[in-house]
Amino acid sequence: MLAYIIRRLAAMIPTLIIASMLIFAIIRLPPADFVTTLVAQAAQSGSSSDQASMAALRHQYGLDQPLYVQYLRWIGGLLHGDLGYSFEWQRPVGPLIQAQLLYTVLLSLASMVFMWVIALPIGIYSATHQYSLLDHLLTLIGFLGLSVPDFMLGLIYLFISAFYFHQPVGGLFSPGMESAPWSLAKALDLFNHLIWPTIILGLGGTAQLIRIMRANLLDILGQQFITTARAKGLREAVVINKYAVRVAINPLISVMGMQIPNLISGATILGIVLSIPTVGPLLLRALIDVDMYLAGSILLFAVILLMVGNLIADICLAWVDPRIRYE
Amino acid sequence: MCTRHLSRRSFLAMTAAAASVFAVGACGSSAPASPTSAPAAPAAATPTAAPTAAAPTPTPVALATPAPQAAAPTVAASGTTIRQFKEAPMLAELVKQGKLPPVEKRLPDPEDILVVKPLNEIGQYGGTWNQAFTGPADFHAFDRNTYEAMLRWPADLRNPIEPNLAKKWEWSDDNKTLTLYLRKGLKWSDGEPFTVDDILFWWNDIELDKNLTPAPHAEYVVNGKPMEVEKVDDYTVRLHYAGPNGLALRMLAFHGGQWPTAFEKFGFYAPKHYLQQFHPKYNPKSDYKTFAAKADDLNPERPVLWPWRITEWKPNENKLIAERNPYYWKVDPEGNQYPYIDRIYMHLVANSEVINLMAANGQLDFQFRNIDVSKYSVFSEKAKAGNFHILKWPAADGSELAFFPNQTIDDPDLRSAFRDVRFRQALSLAINRDQLNQVAYLGLGTPRAATVLPQSPYYSEGIDQLYATYDPKKAEQLLDEMGLKKNADGIRTFPNGKPVQFLIESSITAGTGLDALQLVVKNWQAIGLKVDLKTMDRSLYWPRAIGNQVQMATWGIDRGLEPMVDPIYQIPFDNRSWFAPQWGVWYNTGGQQGEKPEGPAAQVQQLYDQFKSTVDSAKQIEIGKQICKIAAENVFAIGTVGMVPSIVIVKNNFMNVPETAVTDWIMFSPDNLNPFQFYFKQS
Repeated sequence: MLAYIIRRLAAMIPTLIIASMLIFAIIRLPPADFVTTLVAQAAQSGSSSDQASMAALRHQYGLDQPLYVQYLRWIGGLLHGDLGYSFEWQRPVGPLIQAQLLYTVLLSLASMVFMWVIALPIGIYSATHQYSLLDHLLTLIGFLGLSVPDFMLGLIYLFISAFYFHQPVGGLFSPGMESAPWSLAKALDLFNHLIWPTIILGLGGTAQLIRIMRANLLDILGQQFITTARAKGLREAVVINKYAVRVAINPLISVMGMQIPNLISGATILGIVLSIPTVGPLLLRALIDVDMYLAGSILLFAVILLMVGNLIADICLAWVDPRIRYE
Repeated sequence: MCTRHLSRRSFLAMTAAAASVFAVGACGSSAPASPTSAPAAPAAATPTAAPTAAAPTPTPVALATPAPQAAAPTVAASGTTIRQFKEAPMLAELVKQGKLPPVEKRLPDPEDILVVKPLNEIGQYGGTWNQAFTGPADFHAFDRNTYEAMLRWPADLRNPIEPNLAKKWEWSDDNKTLTLYLRKGLKWSDGEPFTVDDILFWWNDIELDKNLTPAPHAEYVVNGKPMEVEKVDDYTVRLHYAGPNGLALRMLAFHGGQWPTAFEKFGFYAPKHYLQQFHPKYNPKSDYKTFAAKADDLNPERPVLWPWRITEWKPNENKLIAERNPYYWKVDPEGNQYPYIDRIYMHLVANSEVINLMAANGQLDFQFRNIDVSKYSVFSEKAKAGNFHILKWPAADGSELAFFPNQTIDDPDLRSAFRDVRFRQALSLAINRDQLNQVAYLGLGTPRAATVLPQSPYYSEGIDQLYATYDPKKAEQLLDEMGLKKNADGIRTFPNGKPVQFLIESSITAGTGLDALQLVVKNWQAIGLKVDLKTMDRSLYWPRAIGNQVQMATWGIDRGLEPMVDPIYQIPFDNRSWFAPQWGVWYNTGGQQGEKPEGPAAQVQQLYDQFKSTVDSAKQIEIGKQICKIAAENVFAIGTVGMVPSIVIVKNNFMNVPETAVTDWIMFSPDNLNPFQFYFKQS
C-alpha cells in the first residue's frame, strides 16, 4: 500500500509541471497583460497612457521579460514557497490566498460529507422500497437537485435569506467576528454561515449519488448470493447492510473522485455568487485583470487539490474493495 | 484481515449514523445565523456631550479663512470667532490618557484652521459608516470619501475654485509664477508637520524620478519645459512655468492630492518623513517596488491628511477600516473638529450584485458606488424595512453610451464618410433616444447630445439637443444628399459601389448597456447602413481603440461639468479621442507623430492652446464655451442618453446629505459633498 501511494505521488510531479505550463500559457494567451488593464482603467480617469509609463510599469512588474523567463521565475519562486506578487492587491500572493484556500477546501469537504451522509441512506431506502411513494418523491427531489445549477440555488437562497429573513448578506462571519480569535462562538458562527452554501453545493452531487446507489443496489439485490443469503435465513438488515451495500458502494467511491472537480469549480462559482471568501472571487478578478501570479497560483492549487482528492478516492477504493490489487 | 473487515463495516455504520445526526442538525439550523448578527447599527460610542455652545474664554481667536477669488458657499466667512475647540469622545479619552496632545495642539495655527459649515446642522460625534466595495479595482472606492487636494472644487462648478491645503494663492504679473501659501501648523495623521518639503519631495523624488514617473504630467509642463518648484519658506512655495498656465488651478484641485492616488500615479505631495526611508535614492537597500507598496493609498502605515486614516486593510477578512484622523484640520463653526463619524467600515465583497443586495437589506449606511439603477424598484420596495431612503443624483455624464465615428480610420471610403458632418448628423438623428432611455435606463435619463451638462460653466443654450431628436427621414435625406444611394437590397452604397458598412466595437458585454447598443444598431440599419456589432473585454478593446483600429468606438462620456482638465471628447487630445485618434496623437506629440488635423478639429485644438495659456477665468470660460459648441455642432461624438441618476442609498439616521447633487469623478464625488460633515443622528 505504502509503495503504491509513493508511486502515485511521484507520478504527480510531471503532471504538475505540465499543468503549471498550461496554466501559465492560458493566462498569458490574451494579447493584453496587467499593465494594459491598468492603463485602460487609469486612462479613463484622465491619467496619461503614454508608452513610456506603460513601459516603466512593465519593467517594475517584470512583464518586459520573455515569457519563459517569467514562467521560470514563477516556478523558481514556487520551489522556495514564494507564490509571486499580486499586481492588483499590491502584496505577496501567499498570505493573500491562504485563508481563502482553506475556506474552499473546508466548503468542498463539508459538501462531500453532506453528500455521502444524505445520499447513502436515501439510496438504500429507494432501492429496497422500489416504486414506493417515498421512492418516487425522493427521486423527484433528486432530479430537481440534479437539474438546478448551484449558482441558481445560490441566488434563490440569497434572495430568500435577505428579503424574508433579513439576514446579512455575504461573508463567512458575522460583523465583528472576522478578526476575533478562534473560539467556540466563532466556530459556531462559521458553521452557521457555511451550512447553506454546503447544502447548495452538495445538492447536485447528492442527487447523482442517490441515483447511482439506487441503481447499483437494485442490481446487486437481484444476484444469486443475495438469494442464497436470504435462503440461509439471515435477517433482512444483515442481507442488505452486510452483503448488498458493501458491494454496491464501490462505484460510489470512484464517483467521489470524479466529483472533486465539480466541487472545486462549484465552490469557486458559489463564492462569487454568495460573496463568501473562497478563492472564487479572487480568481475571477485575477483572470479578468490578468493578475497572472495570483490566478496561476490559485489554479495550481486547484490542480493539486484535484490530484490529492483523486488519490484519496483511489486509496479509499483499494481499502474498501479487497479485489483491487496495487499493481 | 480482521481489522480490515471491522473497519469496513464500521465505515458503513458510521455513514448511516452520521446521516441521522446531520438531519437533526440541519433541522435545528434552518434559520441560519439567526442569533449571531443584527445589521451593524451605528456603533456604541455614544457621545458624552453633543457639541454645545462653548464656554467663553478670555482670548477669542479670530478666524480668517481667506478665499481670495470669491467667498465660497461652504467656507465660513472670515472673521468667525471660535473660542474653544472640541473633539470626539474617543479622542478626548486618548488625550486624558496622555496618548495624544490636546486638540488645540493638533489643529493648525488658529488663523489657518479651515472652518466649513455643515450642510444642514451641526452634527453629533460617533458611529461606524458601513460601505461596500469590490476591491482595489473598484476605483477610488475609499479615496472618494477622503480626497484632500491643494485646492478644492466648489460644490457648484460655476463658482470659483476654493482654498484647501493651500489657504491662498496669487499669480505673478506675467502669469508665469504661481505662489501657494500653505496653512501653518498643518499636521500629518502621525503628528508630523506638513510643509513645503513634502511638496518638494514629491516633485524631485517622485515626479522627476524616471523610475516612478517616466515623464512629468502634462499639467506641469508648459511650452515643453517642466515647471520649477521654489521653496520660499516652510509654508510658501512658488511654481515657475515657462509661460502662463491656465490649467494650474484646476489641476491643483484635480490632481493636487497625495501621491499616488491608487493606480493613477498623480498627486502633488507625499509624506517625506515616512517615504524617504524607502526611496532607493536615499536608501540603496530599498527598491522601487517597496517604495510603491509603502506609498500605496491602502497602506495603513502611511501618514495622510485625510479625515479618516486607514487602520486595517485585510483582504483575507474582507474588510478595510479607517478611523478618524486625530490631526484633521477642519472644524465646524462651533469649533468641533471634523469628522463627525468615528470610523468607516468598508466591506470587501465579491461582486456588485452583493453590494446591491446589502444595500437593499439595510446593511449599508451610505452607498454611492456600484448601486444599480435597474434595481430601483427593489430598493423602493425595501426602503421602509431597511430604514433607508433613495436619492437620485444626476451623474455628470454627457452620454452613458456614446459612439465615436473614427475620422482617422485607414479605410478611405469610411474615412471620407465619417469626415462628412452630414453623415455624423444623420447617425445622430437616426437614434430613437426615448426608446433607448426606457429600455436601458428606466426612463430616468435625459435624451441628449454628447456634450457638457447645463450645470457646466461651458454650457451654451441648446447644445445638448443638437441633432438629438429622432428624425430618421431627415437622416435619410442627409445620406441621399451625400450621394450614398440605396441599392436593390436597401443597403446604401458608396459611389464606387461598395456598401456603406462599418463595425461597432464595444467593451460592453452584458446587461442593459448591451440592449441599448443593439437598439442603436437597429436604428442605423433602418436607414440603410450595414452595421455590425462586436463586443469584447475591456482589456482587449482598449488597445484596439487607442491603436486607431476601431471604426466605430463606443464609451460613456463622463466629465460633463469640467471637461477642460482632460478634454478628450471635445478636441482630438490624444489616442483616447476616439473620434480621431491619429489627430489626437498629433496634438499630444506636438506634431511628431499621427496626422495633422483639418477643419473644426484643428480649430478646437488651437482654442484649447489658448485656454491653456489664459489665466483669466472669465476669458477661459468663453473659450471653453466655444470649444464645446464647435464639438457639439460638428457631432464629434454621437450621444444617446445622459445624466442618468446615480442611485444613492442613505440610512434614515445618516444626516447632512444633500437631496440632490451632480456627481462626477473629476470632483471625486461624493468627496465634494464633504463626507467629514456627514453624521449619525443619535436619539
